[in-house]
Amino acid sequence: MTGENKGLTKAKEIYQDRSRRAKELKAGGKKIVGYNCIYSPLEMMAALDLEPYGLFGDMREPTSKADRGLPTAFCPIMRSLLDLGLKGRYDFLDGMVMPHSCDAIEKTAHVWQCLIPVPYFHFLDIPCTVHEESLEYFKGQLIDLKKTLESFAGKELSSEKLRKAIETYNEQRALVRELYDLRKPDPPFISGTESLQVIKALMSIPVEEGNELLRQVISEVKERKNGPQKKAARLLVWSHILDDVALMETIEGAGANVVIDDCCVGRRAYQADIDITEDPLDGLTNYYLTKIACARTFREAVFGETKKDRIADLESKFGYMKDYVNEWNVNGAVLLLVRFCDPFGFEVTEVTDYFNSLDLPSTYLEHGYSEGSLAPLRTRAQAFLETLSS
Amino acid sequence: MAKEGEKKKAISRLKSMYPLRAKVDETYQKSVEAMKAGKPTVWSMVNWWEGDVILKAMDLEVVYPENYSTVCASAGVAESYLNRSDADGFPTHLCGYSRNTFGYTSRMIKELGSEIPPEAPMGGMPKPILLLSSNCICDARYKWFQALGRYMDVPVWALEMPIPGVKELAMEGCYERSISVMVTHLRGFIAFLERLLGKKMDWDKLDELMRLTEELNRVWYEVNELRKAKPCPMHGRDFWSAMPASLFLAGDLKDTLECYRAMYDEVKYRVDNHIGAIAEEKYRLLFGELPPWHSLGFFDKLAERGWDVVIESWAYHPPIPIDLSKVSDPLERVARFSFQWHTGYFESALKEGEYFGYMAYPYLVYAREYKCDGAFMHPLISCRSASTHLQYASEMLMQKAKVPSLTVEGDIVDLRLFNPADALSRAEPFEEAMEHYRKVRKEEGFDW
Repeated sequence: MTGENKGLTKAKEIYQDRSRRAKELKAGGKKIVGYNCIYSPLEMMAALDLEPYGLFGDMREPTSKADRGLPTAFCPIMRSLLDLGLKGRYDFLDGMVMPHSCDAIEKTAHVWQCLIPVPYFHFLDIPCTVHEESLEYFKGQLIDLKKTLESFAGKELSSEKLRKAIETYNEQRALVRELYDLRKPDPPFISGTESLQVIKALMSIPVEEGNELLRQVISEVKERKNGPQKKAARLLVWSHILDDVALMETIEGAGANVVIDDCCVGRRAYQADIDITEDPLDGLTNYYLTKIACARTFREAVFGETKKDRIADLESKFGYMKDYVNEWNVNGAVLLLVRFCDPFGFEVTEVTDYFNSLDLPSTYLEHGYSEGSLAPLRTRAQAFLETLSS
Repeated sequence: MAKEGEKKKAISRLKSMYPLRAKVDETYQKSVEAMKAGKPTVWSMVNWWEGDVILKAMDLEVVYPENYSTVCASAGVAESYLNRSDADGFPTHLCGYSRNTFGYTSRMIKELGSEIPPEAPMGGMPKPILLLSSNCICDARYKWFQALGRYMDVPVWALEMPIPGVKELAMEGCYERSISVMVTHLRGFIAFLERLLGKKMDWDKLDELMRLTEELNRVWYEVNELRKAKPCPMHGRDFWSAMPASLFLAGDLKDTLECYRAMYDEVKYRVDNHIGAIAEEKYRLLFGELPPWHSLGFFDKLAERGWDVVIESWAYHPPIPIDLSKVSDPLERVARFSFQWHTGYFESALKEGEYFGYMAYPYLVYAREYKCDGAFMHPLISCRSASTHLQYASEMLMQKAKVPSLTVEGDIVDLRLFNPADALSRAEPFEEAMEHYRKVRKEEGFDW
């Protein structure tokens, strides 16, 4: 890792200048592969000595060029990402992997390929269901991805190397869960804002460096005396890609500690481990299709049952959040989405009904992924927090 | 000067269109009759023949909430359903069709004890025994039925269709893997239906219905091929009226096939006799996405200016015909047919370095083959997935075919989002653009 700083200061430094490390690595001869969302198998890239680099939009940058490829009534995060691509922000990339995690990403992937050529591009199709045949199909898709990555990297991917990479990423998942455990006390040892900063930093640097960063952060926050203050509201934030600390600061600044989240730049990518299997592709297949609890996948308690049992379905989809509520002692939840997000938008009433069944007060807040969205967001967050304290 | 009432219609409608248009009305009537007779009804997403033919073979009456939402919009009742959806907590930015359905279902179940709302047009949609969703085209179409679970405990089956990229589909094994997953998935679907209904699939019937589906779509494809003629013998309005019978496999398929054959004969007659759909075809237009169903008279105004809609969005057209005569398994034929619709243009897209191989790329093929002067793009505010490609398609048409686009935002449900007067005011400048690019194409060696 470069620089003198450590722990949270280091995480903040990386967060503020995310591409610096990737550019250093590129200068040293590494190929940088951009990816978005949490469905891109980073383990494959790392095992081939390619450097995965998380791609995000920028809610502080006015979206002025994306109209070339995407309409205005469309996921603002993807519009922002394409906008940055068209403006050259990601020109240092040698390749890209975009997964079919949602319709917006799928469509953006096709447009990106047409408008912003990169030496290597792979679109990874992912089924929407978790049947046996879907797993089989998805494994085939991963094998195809492996082939194109091998060709791009100029070397073969051995099972041993892939297994090793999986273990390293599993270590990162375990460390992130350990970090989240530090938010269980009241007050938490680390804020939601700081935590988001760390997670986004992890998506910007090599996995081994990320693991070292996590160890430093965990050690630091356990020992520090100036952590977050105790607040009446201990919130769970449910969201998709939540990639800017300003969003988290807005919620916490309204008078809450965000003690746990179910977000893509947050707990969701680290909640489960990849099983170590004889054929490591089996573990990857199972993890990426079935273990990530994202709204993009069609799930129900028992697929193909002729009798519908909604309570059981909600429990099977969101049961893990009951554990969050209990273990992190949550007393309120915020459903925080950008406008025009369909997979999560259709889940709002489902999640709300589930939280209601737990007697957990919740609110749904929407934003436009711009700085202008923050003030109204703060007002609505404050209004919700008032209801919690009354 | 002739009085308004005496004025000749600007678009000469096909006589053969009316029986096809009536097929969809029949479907709703049949579903209500079926409910009264105690027979099961299914609500289904448009699934591009992946599931419809199976439902038909199982004697299920099917209604399509997407289509029904346009009916509600046209009848003026959609607004109350949209408001109800908002009040029930669904985000207001969700697909207009879904919000209409949430509101409708909420009213039917919560207020009326599962009775069809009295204001529901065309007899309404009876409470279903199954919700058949599809991942094809957009996320909404497999998410929204699950969200209906808060109103009714009805099983949902999500149809799976692989959606690989243009380049990735060309990799060895990807195509057959896609077919294989669909076939296996459909076997599971049939087993599920057999459990749900307590009866077995009649495989001979499925086989016959699939053959009819292939044939009626082949004829329908040929009808649209005839529209390449100048002047174009069939306007887009007839296309939109006739397409639901294919998309929803409406009515008795033998009869529906005959209707399409009659349409072929009528269109062929017009081609042979140089009869155009409009009096004087000055501009041949490609129409991007669904039309404003609530304002279709708008196209007559454009026709008076010589604007002829000669081809429409790929999504609503039948697949490029493929020979399935050697495929004996009807489920494999279903899979190959449906997948052909989705990927039929991928091979040529790849050759041209175009990666939006469905939705966007077919416009380029259409513009060339139908000799289009312009593209009328109609992004649907509440139907993002169907509209996402239009922006890029406009750029591609200009870059590769020197065909300009006119973009007028609107919606399929919310009529407040489309302003016909404003759109018409942009007609004249766009005509200038079309004239200009005619010259550019000529200078650059294009053949139209």
